[in-house]
Amino acid sequence: MAYHTAVYLALFLPLALLAYQLAPKKVRWCVLLAAGYSFFWLISKGLVAYLLGTTLFTHYVGIWLGWMKLRCRTEAEQAPKEDQAEIRKQYKRKEKWILAGGILALAGVLAWLKYYNFFAKNLNALMEISGSTALLPAKDLLLPIGISFYTLQAIGYMADVYWEKVPSEKNLGKLALFLGFFPQIMEGPISMYAQTADVLWEGNSLKGENLSKGSVRILWGLFKKMIIADRLYVLVRAVFDYYENYNGIVIAAAAVAYTVQLYMEFSGCMDIVIGSGRMFGVTLPENFNQPFASRNAAEFWRRWHMTLGVWFKTYVFYPVSVSSAVKKWNKFGRKHLGKYLTKLGVSAIALFPVWLLNGLWHGPQWNYIFYGMYYFVILLGGVALEPVRSKVLKLWHADEHALYWRIPQILKTWVIIFAGELFFRANGLRAGLRMFESMFREFTPQKLWDGTFLGFGLDGADYLAIGTGCLVVACVGMIKERKLLGEEGLQTLRTPVRWALYYGLILSVIIFGAYGVGYQQVDLIYANF
Amino acid sequence: MQIFKNILFILILVILLTGISGWMESAAKDEDLVQGRNKSISRIRREPDQTIDVLILGDSLSYSSIAPLILWKDHGITSYVCGQPGQKIQETYYLLKTALEKQSPRLLILETNVLFRGQGRLDGLEQSVAEAGNYHFPIFRFHDIWKPLLMEKLYKGENYKGFEIRDGIQSYKEEDYMKESMQKKEMGENVEGYMERIVEMCREKNVEILLLSTPSPQNYNYRKHNTLAEYAQKQNLSYMNMNMAVKEIGIDWKTDSLDKGDHLNLSGACKVTAYLGEYLDKSEWKLPDHRGDAALSAWEKEAEEFEKKVAEKLKVMRGK
Amino acid sequence: MDTLMKILNEIDDSINWEKEKAVIDDRLLDSFGVITLVSELEDAFGIEIEASEMAAENFNSAEAMCQMILRLKEK
Repeated sequence: MAYHTAVYLALFLPLALLAYQLAPKKVRWCVLLAAGYSFFWLISKGLVAYLLGTTLFTHYVGIWLGWMKLRCRTEAEQAPKEDQAEIRKQYKRKEKWILAGGILALAGVLAWLKYYNFFAKNLNALMEISGSTALLPAKDLLLPIGISFYTLQAIGYMADVYWEKVPSEKNLGKLALFLGFFPQIMEGPISMYAQTADVLWEGNSLKGENLSKGSVRILWGLFKKMIIADRLYVLVRAVFDYYENYNGIVIAAAAVAYTVQLYMEFSGCMDIVIGSGRMFGVTLPENFNQPFASRNAAEFWRRWHMTLGVWFKTYVFYPVSVSSAVKKWNKFGRKHLGKYLTKLGVSAIALFPVWLLNGLWHGPQWNYIFYGMYYFVILLGGVALEPVRSKVLKLWHADEHALYWRIPQILKTWVIIFAGELFFRANGLRAGLRMFESMFREFTPQKLWDGTFLGFGLDGADYLAIGTGCLVVACVGMIKERKLLGEEGLQTLRTPVRWALYYGLILSVIIFGAYGVGYQQVDLIYANF
Repeated sequence: MQIFKNILFILILVILLTGISGWMESAAKDEDLVQGRNKSISRIRREPDQTIDVLILGDSLSYSSIAPLILWKDHGITSYVCGQPGQKIQETYYLLKTALEKQSPRLLILETNVLFRGQGRLDGLEQSVAEAGNYHFPIFRFHDIWKPLLMEKLYKGENYKGFEIRDGIQSYKEEDYMKESMQKKEMGENVEGYMERIVEMCREKNVEILLLSTPSPQNYNYRKHNTLAEYAQKQNLSYMNMNMAVKEIGIDWKTDSLDKGDHLNLSGACKVTAYLGEYLDKSEWKLPDHRGDAALSAWEKEAEEFEKKVAEKLKVMRGK
Repeated sequence: MDTLMKILNEIDDSINWEKEKAVIDDRLLDSFGVITLVSELEDAFGIEIEASEMAAENFNSAEAMCQMILRLKEK
């Protein structure tokens, strides 16, 4: 029951809203929790035990950490002043072990389910090369839906308790709801405890404004997914699955098409998710912020899958960068290597785990790991070249906000994104490398208009729908980016205009959506991660 | 105030949807503008009102096995196949509902393979919601009509009252696939509920029901037979299993199978239809002979053309 | 405060440190800048800035940084 299906939109969501509103305020959280667990059950059946287990475990670790903190405080207060620091230090060490144990356990389950077969396969391949027989048998491991997402939320919560950003949660139900709010289960956004736990718990009544704004947001998501992404899916699959038959411009176009497909799909799904949350009065964190307006790869990652980026920054990048090892390097570096190299070194040490984990998080495939390393190299390159860039700007007296500087920057970033997504989508790293290499063979632009592209299952009308759809999305993006409508957005428009827009949106989804006879229903891409 | 505004908004939306639905539905009567399984809907809606006496529903087995124009030629029975590849029970139900708007058939023949096409609970629910939407707001079903209208591209297809001429031959290596057994194969999930609604709808409109299993070694066995026979008895429906009468029908698996015992080809269909015609003739339902009926002269012409085509094809197929 | 200002201006003199209230939120200083800043502050004030302090509200303005430094010094 993905978020774009009729069952979710026409049955599950309305029923959940109705039950929520009818329930007394005090038990509304139960309705949400029940909805979350039934949602999970409908998709993953008994694997819901994993979610439950994670929740119980996280709750326990949180309480343990909270209790240690309390004991530390009382003991330190009673102790003589000179001993206080020592007591705190001891407790800190214990808490650190608890947190480490908690993270290891959760990450371990995720790693076991997701990477065991990958690990076994590669190890066996190695063994075979060295002449011995296969060591580890492949296992049939079923992945619970959304495990990659709720595991990150659970780890984030434990770290937040450890850092005293949030108090440990006594109420198991509240924590369970934070980890199991049904719109977020499949694809995120990954929220922090402080962002959503309280408002989910409050059980505020539904409001007309939230309902209508939420619906519009959902429709907008459907527009992106059904009109654009589900059409491009046909073309993308035709080329990526038979990549040996193509080269040059066809591969390049497919890489662009996939990037657009992924954006429309993922951000469209996020619109549905955030819109659903909005209907309950819950503001979920945004996951996209006009990523194609980015001027460099670093900015792109602050605008694309933002909650994952923020999570890695908060729970991996900063902790690594202020760890004692890095601090030692810092001291050493500044003495012997100078500022530039020290900064570069720190950046490399802090960035590497982030991007290795980012690649691994997407799944057990070498091309995802390559994808992570690709961005590691590019981002590190960005840091390394920073002084050169400033010098060039100064030398030419260039204005870095001027269009002549910005547009080439944006286009350069597009090329980086497209190439990255080529590897991301390719059927394995070897296929990705071959596709990349074949892009530079027989680069004949006339293939774009000589009818080659009509052979991939899309006709002229489909391309027209895709093109027009993208244009609309681009215009809306531009309006948002430049804040042309102000904070209130569509509310500033007069009612007839606004309504006309709504009707237009509804009808274009219904009429131009790629569903029904002649189309396939396309599963959500990120639900597999 | 806000409440009125909301109601007004929804009212206008419903008017828009119904309006466009109506327009699309009438445009979709041109079957060249719709594709695939939607053609069945367009076609049955295009038949003149109250002319069809036997309505045939089912999956690909139905339109591969029963040729209405043969029933016409030999018995003067007007029938129509509303079959769709892999038809789901929800589609069967709403297709019947659509057909009964303009037709009052005396008999519904339901190819029983549909009853075993179960869906998971979630898929079934999704399908139910989707088909209900398609039925009540045809804009959902025919939304894609903008494409042929805009691009002036037509989806051409032959139509012989819903029957499809399939002239390939891939023999089925004969085996006794109807070995007697006591076991039963369960019907698909969701199916019984929809069957109840179908039976009820037919009772209301005085339509008799014949459950029919056409010859298909790949799709039928004795376990399914047991289930169907029991179900028919319980619901007081007629049931005919042609797989039990393959010899009488005269099926020759060397020449009559399209794809190794899955579907019948034209040669097999001719035999099955002839057998069915005899059966209907002798049946209690007393289906009228419309041959010579001036209002149905179009049938005469179509049947002649069809006969010519079939004769040619059969010569090639059986000559092998 | 003076030491802090000196460090801040060394890192980036294009920012108006005295007035700016959203150094992090408006991305005037990127994450690599923050790391550099942290190590400078630790050296200059003899404090230890842990991961738990790595939050935007501690670095958004010179004032906030000053408060954080005083708090950490007490520890």
